[in-house]
Amino acid sequence: MSVIPVLVKREFTSRVKGAAYILTTLIGVLVFVGLSFLPPIMERLSSTFVPKSIDLVVVDNDVESSVLPFLVELSQEREGLAIRDLSGWDERDAYRLVLDEQLAGLLLLDGPLATLVTPDSKNVVLNDEIRNLVSQAATRWKAAELGLTQAEIESLFHAVDFRIREVAPEQEDGTEVDHVAQTQATVLAYFLLFMIYMALIMYGNMVASGVAEEKSSRIMEVMVSTVKPVELMFGKIIGVGALGLVQFVIWISTGLLMAFMGRTGLMGVMFGMTEPLRALPLDSILWFGLFFVLGYFFYASIFAAAGALVSRVEEVSQVVSLLMMFIVVGFFAAYISFLNPNSSFAVTASLIPFTAPMVMFARIVLADPPLLQVAVSVVIMLGSIIIGTWVSSKIYRLGILLYGKRPSIRQVVQLLKG
Amino acid sequence: MSLVVAEITKRFRDVTAVDHLSFTVREGSLFGFLGPNGAGKTTTMRVTLGILKPDEGSVTWQGRPMDRWGVGFYGYLPEERGLYPKMRVAEHLEFLGRIHGLDKLKARRETARWLDRFELGQVRSKRIEELSKGNQQKVQVIGTMLHDPQLLILDEPFAGLDPVNTALLKEVLLEAHGQGKTIIFSSHRMDQVEEICQDIALINRGRLVLHGNLREIKKSMGRQILRLSLEGNSVFWAKIPGLQLLVERADYLEFRLAEGVDPNHVLKEAMDAGQVIRFELVEPSLDQIFVEKVGEGA
Repeated sequence: MSVIPVLVKREFTSRVKGAAYILTTLIGVLVFVGLSFLPPIMERLSSTFVPKSIDLVVVDNDVESSVLPFLVELSQEREGLAIRDLSGWDERDAYRLVLDEQLAGLLLLDGPLATLVTPDSKNVVLNDEIRNLVSQAATRWKAAELGLTQAEIESLFHAVDFRIREVAPEQEDGTEVDHVAQTQATVLAYFLLFMIYMALIMYGNMVASGVAEEKSSRIMEVMVSTVKPVELMFGKIIGVGALGLVQFVIWISTGLLMAFMGRTGLMGVMFGMTEPLRALPLDSILWFGLFFVLGYFFYASIFAAAGALVSRVEEVSQVVSLLMMFIVVGFFAAYISFLNPNSSFAVTASLIPFTAPMVMFARIVLADPPLLQVAVSVVIMLGSIIIGTWVSSKIYRLGILLYGKRPSIRQVVQLLKG
Repeated sequence: MSLVVAEITKRFRDVTAVDHLSFTVREGSLFGFLGPNGAGKTTTMRVTLGILKPDEGSVTWQGRPMDRWGVGFYGYLPEERGLYPKMRVAEHLEFLGRIHGLDKLKARRETARWLDRFELGQVRSKRIEELSKGNQQKVQVIGTMLHDPQLLILDEPFAGLDPVNTALLKEVLLEAHGQGKTIIFSSHRMDQVEEICQDIALINRGRLVLHGNLREIKKSMGRQILRLSLEGNSVFWAKIPGLQLLVERADYLEFRLAEGVDPNHVLKEAMDAGQVIRFELVEPSLDQIFVEKVGEGA
């Protein structure tokens, strides 16, 4: 009987009951719920900055044609907007009035040039509001000059209804791309991609520091006298992986639940996903599971070896920072692949084991890549896992009883050869 | 039928920790493995257990290489103690039992039994980190014996134990010895080794210095230690050549007799000098042998 199940169980149960694990799980749930309610909250917050009334002093230097009448027209339509025409006043006097009465600002008009004079150029909300007013008035002004009706103006802004229809070479007709569905797929892919990225970093670190902890508490010595280093390594990797899976099932369920409720949060704001999720994207989630596991095993074995090379927990971060770089690069590669999932860059990146778990996953969810590419990517990942765990287990075996100074890379290579 | 360490050599980069070391441990014996700090004891034990691979030589138990024997046939107490600090005592021991091949039920039963034996019943659900050093040490010792191994390899098992627990551990070791287990342990405390071991090996700088039955070793060293107590001229010995004062105790003096010095001659001189109260020739203590042998090598 292998001892791996016993090791996995210890790893899992001793951590799952720990305050740190329960706390991070709860905080994660709170963050997800919080983020999904963030846009409405932000909207409410920012709306408090928008002034309820804008009192604007205007000095118009152009006598012939001006935006001014249209501003006045707008002020009659909109509540809280007051325009005081002080044309002919000295600019200094007008500005003094603004300061004395604490008005929104002084607007200087000179033909097509409008200048806002204000004591507070940093008040972005107010200044943007004024900019909008002026440009609205300007549209009316130019439309009036050209003699356009309101309907004509409308049609100017919505001249063409743009759609996309994807037709495969062998297809007759193809299907029209459902914009909402595509947005949802993108948002979901982005969300799950971010989850893989987080999982690799979080659990990779947990594996590395777990190994270093076992070294520094010297339990390793008892363990290696009975358990093979490979078994020890796999026990740790699987145990931590199981913890991660539980945590991520909880987090992703929270995220999806929020999405079903139409609380798409920041993702929605960033990608324009505003409607509630229509159906559970089961295949995306299964692909996520596959690449989560593949990516995790690949990186975790390397993290385990890294943890075995240090003798104190404090040194772990130095060693793993390099590995984190790889994960970050993979994440950005996947991010770039979002823009064009079938580009040669994306295809290449989905075949390199360091980036594949993230890039290939992103491509599958977004672009339906050829099955062959998916298969090759998975096979490459599996092969890399075998090679990675083999090399790592050798380093691990040598590293776990190595105390004192961290060995140099050259020494590690020598140890591997020996 | 024994543990045979044959010509093992282990080098670390340019340091030779163990240098062509050979010794035999009889099955069922209590074997003391001695040496000064840095002599290579821990390395030898690690090689014996297969944690480290020797550069040369081999270790066999009953004629078969050590790695052919499955998990659970030996118990190892490393010098650097290590337990998972966050785990609870009983939980930890059950885990150690399980990785040494016990099934769940047996692991639980043995844990309970050994916790009682070592009077740790009331801390069974405490975390390891909450225990005193001595109690952690006891938990670790239990961890090496829980699965009823045939061979026990204990690196400094008495370090950090108070006299009560030292006596308890001694009792447990003698009990295991009575059950026919083979026990190897290293120690700095020669009195403990002297008290319970039959055989010893003394190493220094990775090489064997002394090896064999403790009694025979002592015998072969000769009765060269003289304990003398007399009333009268107590400095008479200064004029006898070959008599070296080792210790001056409250009630007697201890001398070393050089080769060729006749004890009878010393006795005569002593009787001339006054009233002899005590005149005793004794074997050297293991402590003295240790100092002498290790000192020679230095």
